[in-house]
Amino acid sequence: MTCPVVGIIANPVSARDIRRVISHAGNLQITDRANILLRILAGLAATGISQVVMMPENAGIYGHLRRGLERAANTGEARFPALQLLDMAICGDASDSAAAARTMRKMNVGAIIVLGGDGTHRVVVSEAGNVPIAGVSTGTNNAFPEMREPTITGLAAGLAVTGAVPPGVAFVGNKRLDVAINDRHEIALVDIAIVRDRFVGSRAVWKADSFRELFVAFAEPGSIGLSSIVALVAPVNRSSPFGRRLIFDDPQDAQFRVAAPIAPGLIADIGIARIETLDFDTPTALTVGSGSIALDGEREITFSERDRISVTLREAAFRTIDVAACMSFAAGNGLFVESTKQALSHALGGQG
Amino acid sequence: MSKTPFPLEKDQLLDAYRTMRTIREFEERLHTDFARGDIPGFVHLYAGEEASATGIMMHLNDNDRIASTHRGHGHCIAKGVSVKEMMAEIYGKATGACRGKGGSMHIADLSKGMMGANGILGAGAPLACGAALAAQKLGHKGVGISFVGDGASNQGMFLESLNLAAVWNLPVIFVVENNGYAESTSVEWAVASDSYVDRATGFGMPGITVDGTDFFAVYEAAGEVIKRARDGGGPSLLECKMIRFFGHFEGDAQTYRGKGEVEDIRTNKDCIKLFQARIKEAGVVAQSEFDKIDREVLDLIEMAVVEAKAAPLPGPAELHTDVYVTY
Repeated sequence: MTCPVVGIIANPVSARDIRRVISHAGNLQITDRANILLRILAGLAATGISQVVMMPENAGIYGHLRRGLERAANTGEARFPALQLLDMAICGDASDSAAAARTMRKMNVGAIIVLGGDGTHRVVVSEAGNVPIAGVSTGTNNAFPEMREPTITGLAAGLAVTGAVPPGVAFVGNKRLDVAINDRHEIALVDIAIVRDRFVGSRAVWKADSFRELFVAFAEPGSIGLSSIVALVAPVNRSSPFGRRLIFDDPQDAQFRVAAPIAPGLIADIGIARIETLDFDTPTALTVGSGSIALDGEREITFSERDRISVTLREAAFRTIDVAACMSFAAGNGLFVESTKQALSHALGGQG
Repeated sequence: MSKTPFPLEKDQLLDAYRTMRTIREFEERLHTDFARGDIPGFVHLYAGEEASATGIMMHLNDNDRIASTHRGHGHCIAKGVSVKEMMAEIYGKATGACRGKGGSMHIADLSKGMMGANGILGAGAPLACGAALAAQKLGHKGVGISFVGDGASNQGMFLESLNLAAVWNLPVIFVVENNGYAESTSVEWAVASDSYVDRATGFGMPGITVDGTDFFAVYEAAGEVIKRARDGGGPSLLECKMIRFFGHFEGDAQTYRGKGEVEDIRTNKDCIKLFQARIKEAGVVAQSEFDKIDREVLDLIEMAVVEAKAAPLPGPAELHTDVYVTY
């Protein structure tokens, strides 16, 4: 059996938007992104992955990465797999992530490791088909990717794609929100917000008086972003067989208000008119005449009264790697242990 | 909240359009007149980048000071400098904004807070810091804005200014107008730590990157960083990713650009067309209102050229005047 190839898509421009100012959100520097990749590559190599393909970019990540790889090669260290950049044009925007995911799917990579926030993960999932995703949070709003040390994500991805961890343990299905604007189709992994603005502008969504409707696939009370509004009132797990729709109300007049962390460092007073349950495969039409649609926290599309728009929740629409489950399986089955049974038993004080 | 589904009222949207259209027609006319040999010296045109100057300057007043670049016509117009005086200045006439002695790269009007275009790359940054320091000491809530290009952002003066601004918590905004080329050298080849936001972070200030071809993206982001500075929050950096329609200078053969690149951006990334389409589609402004502004702008530019051509040159007696200016 040939060793599976792993793909990496690292967004160099995530965490650069207006939220650095309006809500004191952080900025992950290019050098830190390169360091994260080196840690992921070390994790992959430790599980036997010998080949990785990566999206090229022109923001400098690869320049830093190459220094680490060349140094390892010069000293004869076998710490990293062979890394190859995809042969593709670079546009410097989200279309690069989409094109890279499309190419990786055609290459039949074992998994794609994504560095970015919710928006980057959304773009990759939209083109990745059945290829499983492992997310590393480097964006602003990160309700979808877990906050975790990237070395562990690399180890888990390697275990998953080599089959060291059985697929039933390693991979999980995820809900997804589909939005149809006439004949155009887009997706969201966490939430879709409808706001009053008829411009995309700086993309971030933070002015509560412009909020009209919100759809969530899941809403976890420990998360940041718009889904936290639902999460603090009527939480929904990633595995729950339903989602939610929330209709906003003016906070001045609303009988029902919640203080929600809608962006890093920004807790807003939100008025709620009502919350409904979203069932799978049941399109819901908007009640709002015009405005813009924010996918996973960023305004992407404007619409008018003439447009037909509906939102539909889908079940098990794409796969992710369950990093915690992979590592638990590895620990339970001694996948990282090199020992005789006697030595292991001795090391554990006779309890092994 | 505005009455329109935009962050501006209708009259403000029309003002923004008029400013962008004026910059565009001014530059298109210079492109033609320079090729004909009518204009002395060099000109560096701002066409294609109008959303940046306009989106930023709409938040400023005459107490706020800007320091511009060699590509400064758009900054001047958006800051309120007289178009006729600018044209006369570029033609080297005595009726010009600097009595015809500065030319394109040294247009200034202190009454409007325009401290000058600048032929020295990065040299505007310490000037903006000085203006911001003055505003801080005078307590009038003014801000300083430094415009630099992607190439000038590698200059020591610019980086020293970031440091100074952070150390003194100055109300200054560093606007990096990243049009992808330092003269003919691509950003990819010439800028270490390719993210300008990273540079801001390194000096302890926030940085934002926006699509500089989207007026509303610039307007929103500029509003937040300027408000932050006025409120005592200190300096910020705003990177506007944009494109220029013309070469680095007039006469530039642009062999460094890809085939069809200019045609593509004129068709798909024209900030004025994008702005116009968005507010027209929302039913806020009718085409006839745009057309009226277009006619008025064309008349203004034509009149500015006619008057500039007819104006006298500075006399020999003025050779030693205006050499030093008290700010």
